[in-house]
Amino acid sequence: MMSKNLLKIVAMAALGASVASAGFAGSANTVSNARYVPTIWVDPDGCEHWVMDDGAEGYMTPHVTRDGIPVCQRGNTCAVMNSDQLFAVDKWHVSAANRTRLKAFFRDSGASVYLIDGHTDSDASDAYNMRLSKNRAMAIASIAKSAGVKAQARWYGERVPAASNNTRVGKSKNRRVEIQCIR
Amino acid sequence: MTFMKATSVALLAISVAGCDVPKQNKTVDNFIDSKDLSQLKAGIWVDPNGCDHWIIDDGVEGYLSARIDQNGKPVCSGIAEPNTATGAYKSGSPIADVI
Repeated sequence: MMSKNLLKIVAMAALGASVASAGFAGSANTVSNARYVPTIWVDPDGCEHWVMDDGAEGYMTPHVTRDGIPVCQRGNTCAVMNSDQLFAVDKWHVSAANRTRLKAFFRDSGASVYLIDGHTDSDASDAYNMRLSKNRAMAIASIAKSAGVKAQARWYGERVPAASNNTRVGKSKNRRVEIQCIR
Repeated sequence: MTFMKATSVALLAISVAGCDVPKQNKTVDNFIDSKDLSQLKAGIWVDPNGCDHWIIDDGVEGYLSARIDQNGKPVCSGIAEPNTATGAYKSGSPIADVI
């Protein structure tokens, strides 16, 4: 015959086991405030990613600022071309001479892809500048493609200035086509 | 991989990982192919839209992260067809994939 005390101990042990298993099942399915501190992996382009190894699982996501701008240890900009030397005011036609120069640049630079980024100064409206920078970037990208290389056009209008738009010199610096050479 | 190998890998994994369970330090790989995660080797996976992602097969762990340029736009390089992976991204670990 089991003593009262022994019965109590057995009952408690059983309860303990059931609580522990319930607790384990709960923690396996749902975690709250689990500590996940990432480290940084730098991709071959030079930009950072958050990375974590959770035993058998791996996790990774780009490291971007709260504005959505990637954090990169280096850029891939290999040329900044002043728009005044490439285009007439408000136009996106490229002269034959410049076309030849650009083709030579694309043939000789050896990147696997060229990202062509069009920018303007802050004169005229945002919508107008988005359109102008798009047409200019696409004009340069089509020259790159005619030189037999891969290119992707993007446009930012006046939204990503390189200098202040309050001075004449600053505005001139903002009127530009930036080229990223992706290896 | 033979069953014996798989078993020994699993046993070794348990013994090695035993130092940090549940794993607190997420910044290192404590498995047989132990390393700091900054040393991972990536390839390119091209998504159905033609845009690039970094893909890493590090033995037991797999990683995937968007390839974006310095302005935050996706890089759609066209170096490979959509739905394909390219590069030595399986080279960072001596652990072979079981499947």
